[in-house]
Amino acid sequence: MSEGRALAWIGGSVGVVCTLVVIAPWLAPYDPGALAGPPLAPPDAAHLLGTNDVGQDLWSGLLYGVRTSVLVAGSVTLLSTALSWGIGLAAGMSRAAESVLLPLAELLLALPSLPLYLLTVTLVGPSLLHLILVLALLSWPPFARIVRSLVLIVRAAPYVEAAQALGATPAHIIRHHLLPATLDVLPTKLILTVRFAVFTEATLAFLGLGDPATISCGTMLNHAFDDPLLFSRPVWPWLVLPPAAAIVLLVLLTVWFSQALEGRRAQATHVAVPESTSSKVS
Amino acid sequence: MARAVARLLIRYLLLACGVVLLNFLLPRLLPGDPLNVGAAEGLDLGPPLTAAAGHQLRTYYHLDEPPAGQLFAYLGDLARGDLGWSIARSAPVSGLLLNRLPWTLGLLGTTLIFSASGGTALGLLAGWAPGSRRDRRLVALMAALSALPEFLVALGLLLIFAVTLRWFPLLGGQTPFAQYSADPLGSGQRALDVGLHLILPAAALVLAGIAGFALIARDVTVGIRYAPWLIVARAKGLSERQIAFRHALPHLAGPLLTYFGLRLGAVLGGALVVERVFNIPGLGLLAYEAIRERDYPVLQALFLLAGLGVLAANCVVEFLYLRLARRQPARYE
Repeated sequence: MSEGRALAWIGGSVGVVCTLVVIAPWLAPYDPGALAGPPLAPPDAAHLLGTNDVGQDLWSGLLYGVRTSVLVAGSVTLLSTALSWGIGLAAGMSRAAESVLLPLAELLLALPSLPLYLLTVTLVGPSLLHLILVLALLSWPPFARIVRSLVLIVRAAPYVEAAQALGATPAHIIRHHLLPATLDVLPTKLILTVRFAVFTEATLAFLGLGDPATISCGTMLNHAFDDPLLFSRPVWPWLVLPPAAAIVLLVLLTVWFSQALEGRRAQATHVAVPESTSSKVS
Repeated sequence: MARAVARLLIRYLLLACGVVLLNFLLPRLLPGDPLNVGAAEGLDLGPPLTAAAGHQLRTYYHLDEPPAGQLFAYLGDLARGDLGWSIARSAPVSGLLLNRLPWTLGLLGTTLIFSASGGTALGLLAGWAPGSRRDRRLVALMAALSALPEFLVALGLLLIFAVTLRWFPLLGGQTPFAQYSADPLGSGQRALDVGLHLILPAAALVLAGIAGFALIARDVTVGIRYAPWLIVARAKGLSERQIAFRHALPHLAGPLLTYFGLRLGAVLGGALVVERVFNIPGLGLLAYEAIRERDYPVLQALFLLAGLGVLAANCVVEFLYLRLARRQPARYE
């Protein structure tokens, strides 16, 4: 398959997922929280994936669950990216900001992230908003450091000095000279953060820190695993496999998307063999 | 060298102070009230207390003191190894953590050893012939593996090997109610039993962790293929195997060591989640239980322990890196 077609396919699937997310309330036959049928029913015409141990419809739950994952991923990515760029630009422009923000970034980078998320989300209480805020507020450091280092390089360039000599304001320099120079790493940041958010939301929800009022793939798995007799129930595949497959699919979509993008970029510059694959390491 | 080591130690000492301070500040800066679990969400879920009883509780926990007084009380407790008292179970937190620590450490150690050595071997294999079919397949597979959450890899292994094939026990760290004799044979049986229970969780963590090492080893190998010293090794007539093991492998050590340090925290996180999938009675299962019971002294102590542990391990890694850099001067010109 050519790189362009691969990109089209993956872009198309991303589009399909996004559409599903928007129209989920109309697609779902039941309210995911409602007791819609007998408990632990196998799949039939009324319940496409069967029901869970309290009789909630699993197909509706799955649709809403993917919706939650995408919602969290989108909000966390927007917030975290804005923070990375804001903090990176500030640290690159001002010494005072740098002396405060850089040690904070280093501390956050040095800490094991999961225990930190567990502690903070437990302290503020699990809700979708808190989850989004915690993930966004704790995930800006890597790219803030990258943006800062790019800013430091560009700031020393003669054309920026010339702009300064001509009386350009700092705001003008940031907007027209520094910001454009950092945009090369933006796609990488967006894709990595989407993946990080889906991954972390699922993990936290699986550990019991999902929003109890909102269904997500992680909370569905958590609920299934709360049952000590899960694997002695004949319907266990319907309880476990759909939400797990949904998370895997979402994560793999981001991987394939970034691979296709990279492939297209390599083609454009006539590099046959990708010399570096480290950008795929999350 | 001595100055570099001193700088390293000071940096990590400051970071450790940061962790201790963060652990003190987080519960106090975030919304919420220790006497009312629902306060952050604007609900009143705490036990009904009279004003006098509430005041008494606040005095008992030093919550009525100014922040500086609270900080000193906290540091004093910490210096005595007192991490607080669990809310949900009547036991000191430090004892709870120490009981669970060996399980998690064992899982972590096995995982790190196998994923680092296996990943290096795979990366060397792929990077030796970049662009070949083997290389492309391995890179695609590793990229996908490195992106998957550890608990899903664990779930996959559990479903295949424990639920469907029944080769391994479904859950737990050892067979419950098993009787082992007191002689060495009995302890051998016990070790075998624990090992059998830990194979799947360790395999899941290795699968999830191997990809990063493999990708980095591959990149470094690709980068040094045409280095002059490697061409000389070829010109000497050494076999490909000798070139790979004697000459290329030592060059992977530096970057892989750095990555090893970076990954520690993530692997720890993975181990915590995987323990819940398999019900291994380690720190991860403790964290899961503590979350259910909103037992935040346990989570706070876990964060402190994990933070300081990862910092200490990273400090050792960077020290080793310094030694390594000194031993091969001027090779990376």
